[in-house]
Amino acid sequence: MTEPAGQTAVRPRAPEPERKAPRARNRGSNVRYDGFAARAGSAVHLLPAVLLVGVLLLVPFGYTVYQSLTDYDGLSTAQFVGLDNYVALFGEERFHRSLLNTVIWMVGTLLLPVLLGLMIAVLTNASGWATWVRYAFVLPYAISGTATAVIWGFMLRSDGAINQVLGAFGLDELQREWLLSWPMNTIVMILANTWQAVGIAVILFLVGLQTVPRETVEAGMLDGASGFRLFRSIVFPQLRPVTVVVVGISIANSLRVFDVIWLLTNGGPGWVSETLAVTMYRMTFVLSEYGHGSAVAVVLAVIVVSVSWVYLRQQMPKRG
Amino acid sequence: MGRFVRNGFLIALAILWLVPTYLLIVNAMTPHEKYTGSPRWIPNGFGFFDNLARAWDSAELGLGLYNSLLYATLSAGIAVFAAALASFAVVIMPTRRRGLWFWLIYTGTLLPLQIFLAPLFKAYVNVNLYDTQLGMVLIYAALCVPFAFFVVRNYLTTVPSEVTEAAQLDGAGWGRLFWQIHLPLVKSSLQAAFVFQFTWVWSDLLFGITLSTSPNIRPVMAALAELNSGYSSLGPPIVLSAALFVSLPTVVLFLTFQRFFASSLKPVG
Repeated sequence: MTEPAGQTAVRPRAPEPERKAPRARNRGSNVRYDGFAARAGSAVHLLPAVLLVGVLLLVPFGYTVYQSLTDYDGLSTAQFVGLDNYVALFGEERFHRSLLNTVIWMVGTLLLPVLLGLMIAVLTNASGWATWVRYAFVLPYAISGTATAVIWGFMLRSDGAINQVLGAFGLDELQREWLLSWPMNTIVMILANTWQAVGIAVILFLVGLQTVPRETVEAGMLDGASGFRLFRSIVFPQLRPVTVVVVGISIANSLRVFDVIWLLTNGGPGWVSETLAVTMYRMTFVLSEYGHGSAVAVVLAVIVVSVSWVYLRQQMPKRG
Repeated sequence: MGRFVRNGFLIALAILWLVPTYLLIVNAMTPHEKYTGSPRWIPNGFGFFDNLARAWDSAELGLGLYNSLLYATLSAGIAVFAAALASFAVVIMPTRRRGLWFWLIYTGTLLPLQIFLAPLFKAYVNVNLYDTQLGMVLIYAALCVPFAFFVVRNYLTTVPSEVTEAAQLDGAGWGRLFWQIHLPLVKSSLQAAFVFQFTWVWSDLLFGITLSTSPNIRPVMAALAELNSGYSSLGPPIVLSAALFVSLPTVVLFLTFQRFFASSLKPVG
């Protein structure tokens, strides 16, 4: 049974056992037994997932929130310091930069993979050779962030492939130290990440396109719609559920990016290309400033959760 | 005319997308002693296996590959099964407070991974799970549950409620419903979730470098990151050959499931 759409469907049913209970004792106990059995069944089904997520993710999450309110270097006992870590963070130029980079990453990773993904999916949705062209975009998705960073490091280094090509075409003045100055390094890393990440958007949009009923499209064509108009008013509205998923995934992924930055610039030079994900890692595991690192993680979580929450609340149909 | 421009654009974009892969392959093949310091665009001999052998020795790549295979298979498998059980409870069974359970499990994908790291590291050290295979399998399984749950649950909601009701009228209990009716019906979403999560675990670096350190425990991406830090001393062909090789399993997996991918996330017709 799925969840009832309106409360009227379930209301009359709910009081039923109570009303019938006095009639026969056996029946009453049966209902109770069923209720208990069903609840025990639910518990058994929920247990593995809830245990894994609860113990290994939610408890650490709670502990990080607590730790962000303490001063702790990993060795001595933690001192409760209230919001001091946050106050200190928001006074640091380094943290401002990290925050700014995070926002740039979020916007960049939201726009590029989603728009490119939709475009590529639409263009390669035809049969024939286009299905083969699709592989060019989809395959990098199977490559890890670490390997992506290795490949793009090869492209972007001072003696890398991009500068080599620019030199070969006589465009020496366009040659750059791509990874050594901000904001260029952040931009090229977003492009490298897009190269890898667009595949999932393409796949999901293609799945969405295939769920668009052929009759709907044919009806639209009979009504004289074609080309972009057909796409915009007939096909795109049907892609809405998929778009919600793709955008949701992109938001979450953009804020998680770690390996590409860690390998390509190590957050540098200095700290100019750090995002919150990298700042947290360095503060905690390189500098052993557990309190500060936790505060960064909490700020990052607040951003992720509030953005996703606003987004999902707006997009999700009201349903459990 | 419109079609011509469209196709031209698509091909140009595809070529642009293929360049990094092409360079990866050509330069990973280039024998490392023949590499002159600038990227090669044309193949120059075949030194892939020699390059790979050097990378293999330098970072104990074999151990990393074995570990990643173990972690990815076990963790994705455990997570998908746990997710299927929980989805069944939240969608099919008359569980109370479904919304609460949904969010409790799903929150895991919303929270950034960094928020789990420091306490996990400390707790792992305290309970002797740090730098152990069991510890890695457990954390990867936990990290995979939320998204697998999201995929399977969405798919399960598309199974018509008549299916459940009809089976119940025939006297099927929850166990039979789960194993014989719903699990087979959502099989493709289970496979899709498994492939996604396998790929994710295989690709992870963050937890690999945080919760493990020794070569016989760490996953393969941690080994590749170590190779990359020796980029200039080893030379690009050696590092690239390793990057290419460790990417092959997920690429093959992906190609194998490519056809079914297109239909797997689609609701049952």
